[in-house]
Amino acid sequence: MSKLRLKITKGEELRFISHLDYVRAITRAVRRAKLPAAYSEGFNPHMKVAFASALAVGVTSDAEYMDLDMEEQIEPSEVIARLNAVLPPGIQVREAGYVDERAAALMAVVDQTDYQIMIPVTGAFSVADAQMSLTRFAEMEKVVYVRHSPKGKRFIDLKQYIAHPLEMENTPQTVQLSLSIKMTSGGSVKPSEILDVLVSDFGFPVQSQTALIHRTALWAAADGKQVSPLALEQP
Amino acid sequence: MINRYPDILRQVLKPARYTGNELNSVIKDPSQVKVNFALAMPDVYEVGMSNLGLKILYEALNRQPDIAAERVYAPWVDMEAAMRERKIPLFALESSRPIKELDLLGFTLQYELSYTNILNMLDLSGIPLLTSDRDLSHPFVVAGGPCAYNPEPMAEFLDFLILGEAEETIVEVSQAVAAWKEAGRPDGRQGLLKMAALIPSVYVPSFYRVTYKTDGTVQQVTPTCPEASPVIYKRIIEDLDQVAFPTKPVLPYLEIVHDRIMLELFRGCTRGCRFCQAGIIYRPVRERRLETLLKQAQELVDHTGYNEMSLVSLSSADYSRLRELVSALSERYKDQHVSVSLPSLRIDSFCIQLAQELQKVRKSGLTFAPEAGTQRLRDVINKGVTEQNLEDAVGAAFRAGWSAVKLYFMIGLPTETDEDIQGIAELAYSVKKLYMQITGRRDIKITISVASFVPKPHTPFQWYGQISLAEMERRQKLLRSSIRDRSITLNWHDAPVSMIEGVFSRGDRRLGNVILTAWRNGAKFDGWSEHYKHDVWEQAFREVGLDPAFYASRNRELNEVLPWDHLSAGEDKDFLIREYHCALSAECTPDCRRGSCSACGVCPTLGTKIVDWGNAEHE
Ligand code: SF4
Repeated sequence: MSKLRLKITKGEELRFISHLDYVRAITRAVRRAKLPAAYSEGFNPHMKVAFASALAVGVTSDAEYMDLDMEEQIEPSEVIARLNAVLPPGIQVREAGYVDERAAALMAVVDQTDYQIMIPVTGAFSVADAQMSLTRFAEMEKVVYVRHSPKGKRFIDLKQYIAHPLEMENTPQTVQLSLSIKMTSGGSVKPSEILDVLVSDFGFPVQSQTALIHRTALWAAADGKQVSPLALEQP
Repeated sequence: MINRYPDILRQVLKPARYTGNELNSVIKDPSQVKVNFALAMPDVYEVGMSNLGLKILYEALNRQPDIAAERVYAPWVDMEAAMRERKIPLFALESSRPIKELDLLGFTLQYELSYTNILNMLDLSGIPLLTSDRDLSHPFVVAGGPCAYNPEPMAEFLDFLILGEAEETIVEVSQAVAAWKEAGRPDGRQGLLKMAALIPSVYVPSFYRVTYKTDGTVQQVTPTCPEASPVIYKRIIEDLDQVAFPTKPVLPYLEIVHDRIMLELFRGCTRGCRFCQAGIIYRPVRERRLETLLKQAQELVDHTGYNEMSLVSLSSADYSRLRELVSALSERYKDQHVSVSLPSLRIDSFCIQLAQELQKVRKSGLTFAPEAGTQRLRDVINKGVTEQNLEDAVGAAFRAGWSAVKLYFMIGLPTETDEDIQGIAELAYSVKKLYMQITGRRDIKITISVASFVPKPHTPFQWYGQISLAEMERRQKLLRSSIRDRSITLNWHDAPVSMIEGVFSRGDRRLGNVILTAWRNGAKFDGWSEHYKHDVWEQAFREVGLDPAFYASRNRELNEVLPWDHLSAGEDKDFLIREYHCALSAECTPDCRRGSCSACGVCPTLGTKIVDWGNAEHE
């Protein structure tokens, strides 16, 4: 058995499919590509795949990572070519490489993710107001967000998950925010949650429902440095 | 859609219902095609995407370089509300174009309870509901599917219908539209409708005048122009090995109702159950060759990556080379982790063996459909199943390790008495006893599903009145009180829903007004119990001044002109009358598939014959 690690995109076309649907789309492609994937034992064998993190519905990505157990080692370049030939529009494999079979699960090694948020601006947008709002956010020691779930309310301090100060760029039509979020064993926050708080509590002058969120990178830590999960534990 | 309304898509349930871009969907450049066709199911995406007929038509149309077929389904209520608020018209999944801009909008009529959704989708598209209000800027609204054999209640909303298997007709109709457009739309919409009426199996309701007698029954249905023929006959595909089958179906991201490969073994079923409309309208039986099926199975596996394959047909276990097919498929796909399943089982031990082979170790529930509780009533409906058959089959299943069975029954069948109802309970108890005898255990689970019988057009029971709502409920209670056992679960369909289905299945044109009124008063998604509003329907009948009992509960005279007499699946009315009498005297009629012809009229009328590879003459 070999563990193949893949870096995959989730494009505009499938922005609104769920993580589960995304995983299913990829496993079906693995089957169409007739790759020698490993299956679990039992009455209802399923393909052994593991993802780094579940992407929210509505978010696109340049950097999804998946581990696929293979019965047989096939050249990563060949895997990429065979998968890309059968993947649906919007999903492409960007990189692939084998990692140690006993390598820690992706979910356990990733610790930071970067996003870009694009928001169309309405007539009254003021760059100064937006800058002011970001500055105020940056200056706060603690920013509490109330997350509602079927299990009840949770109070989360957003600031503890902010890895770098937020950056803003804008054009006459759009404003773009770049943010880096820490992923910890205790949890993380969603970029949409940060945007919601910026708009509601810090007067960031946009409408958050129209935002398009895109994950640009996912990082793991190795020797105190941020590296791609593909750069870890090469066999 | 995706980038224009992210805020809406973020709010609604399952936004992937509306965003398209699935693998194998066909996106054509509109400027390169002559005709644009929207194929629609008046139900949600997951239901629409599971319909094999629509997949077949999508393939048939998109094979034509000049035609672009797209898909559209009923938006769920949350999406509908957002679309209405923001004035977003109903759009096609492939191109995101408003449906109103296409040339044809074709609905499949799978069940009567979807009619209000058709009106709702027309309204969301900005297409006038009544055919008479449409002009050259609107698409032609077309329909097909089983309810097209009596579409009269929908006659005022549909420009034309296609009877029977439509993969050839739908292309001919589209070509007619292309020619009509190129010629500058001569004579407007009427011009195209006249061209369409000349295509066999096409029915243009507005070309027929219906008159009524003083007692409310139909007096006459008369064509009003030379293009309209007095009787419209269905069309079928004679050679299923030659016709295109969608081996590259659109692969949904969402989990749909039938989320697996559908391999169609044959069409038609001639077992002759007298309540069954499918048993008449899809006649005669025509099988695909084993080699064709194996080839299609391979292509489907290659193009979808599904890990499940279902062998679909009206009664798949009747496929003449089933054993060979199943062994070949299991052998070939075992290592590729593709499991093969049979959705419908005949009640016999051969099927149990097969099911055992297919399921190997997993013992999920087995389903049987005795339909009626006593032998007498099973003979009335011509369900050729004896108590012994059921015992043998269920016994074989228990010996093979199954411990859960589902039994399907109907109540309200012609001639049914309380004894027949109690027979259902007794049958369930005897199944339980058998289980305990065979296994010595008590851990059996029996689920009894009871539907209320709805008489359907083109069946021997088309004259038979449905029992009243109160009587349905009384019989349900009677059954409930005869079953007191924790291992037996009882499920049934809502009686009021079955009554409404009964009204529309054998209704006439005057009911169009009831559908319109009910829709205006908020009826939609009537097939979804959480949305079904019986008071809205009752109110609509009152407002329009029609009595539902006239349509549903009245026994009709054998010589009465039926609203669908001008629409034919090829069957002789005399055959249906003979069968009606046989039913009353509990006489059985054998299957014509491998036995003798029971002279239903379909083969001679259509000039066709049975194709069954188990028949000596074909070997
Ligand atoms: S005409 Fe005869 S052989 Fe053909 S479907 Fe009818 S009963 Fe069967």
